[in-house]
Amino acid sequence: MQQVFLDGYEQKGSGTETEVTWEDQQNINKFGRLNNRFHELEDEIKVAKENNESLEDASNELILSDEDIVRFQIGEVFTHMPREEVESRLEKMKDDSSKKLQKLEEEKESVLAQMADLKRILYGKFKDSINLEED
Amino acid sequence: MASAAAAASSTGVPSERRGIPAATFVEDVQIYLTQSGLDANSALAFLQERLQQYKIVEMKLLAQQRDIQAKIPDIGKCLDIVAALQAKKNTGEALIADFEVSEGIYSRAWIEDSNSVCLWLGANVMLEYSYEEAEALLKKNLENAKASFEVLTADLLFLRDQVTITQVTIARVYNWDVHQRRMKATPEA
Repeated sequence: MQQVFLDGYEQKGSGTETEVTWEDQQNINKFGRLNNRFHELEDEIKVAKENNESLEDASNELILSDEDIVRFQIGEVFTHMPREEVESRLEKMKDDSSKKLQKLEEEKESVLAQMADLKRILYGKFKDSINLEED
Repeated sequence: MASAAAAASSTGVPSERRGIPAATFVEDVQIYLTQSGLDANSALAFLQERLQQYKIVEMKLLAQQRDIQAKIPDIGKCLDIVAALQAKKNTGEALIADFEVSEGIYSRAWIEDSNSVCLWLGANVMLEYSYEEAEALLKKNLENAKASFEVLTADLLFLRDQVTITQVTIARVYNWDVHQRRMKATPEA
């Protein structure tokens, strides 16, 4: 969860009183939010990658098989669908899925960049008194 | 001099959100303790309790969020099926579907052109709707679910900020206390 500690909270305080302004607090808050979003994105990216792979596998299976009617899952049932329709549906699904993955990766890069900036600012002001690393 | 009150309103943060009280940002620890009439230990105890309360609310909201997150793809699947039935309707053929009768056992169904579907509304109630009505209802449900999800996400973000503010305040009060003790321990020159 929260990775930020101001010196002295856990054990050995140096007892120095560093001023924390509202702006500092907002930066810390923003860092916390970004960190959370980063972890959410990692999970979402993992799911999106698995989805991509499944669609690739399905596509490959389709090429290997030579049936005219393919059982394609819609909802909880497998409908009988002509091969061409299944092919075009799969293509669209693969396209959507890789676009989504790309968007997630881009967001992740942006979040990491913002976090690096905030680290610079916060470490700059608080030096050792603050810990912004993962355990 | 209502410095603490002025600080709260000048930050532009709402004082509470949907029943969750906001954490007051402390501009100066000394002033905060004097104004609230608490000593460091009592203040720490109060803040810790606030933190616990926030965590409890967070658990509840996360659970609600998970539920909605599971519901959204389900509604999507229902919409897919209705769309598939509508598409088949114009061709005059039956939609052939293999479905699970029991775990690992499947059977085949021929779904004839029928103009309507039954929707499970919950609480042992199922109603028959035309394809168009079903599509409209499901779309509305999907929008509602997405809107609730957005609200919950915003709630959780707000909550997370309050937790952070409280944790930082706890650290500062603790530090201030240590600082005070040190000052008292070292004799003035």
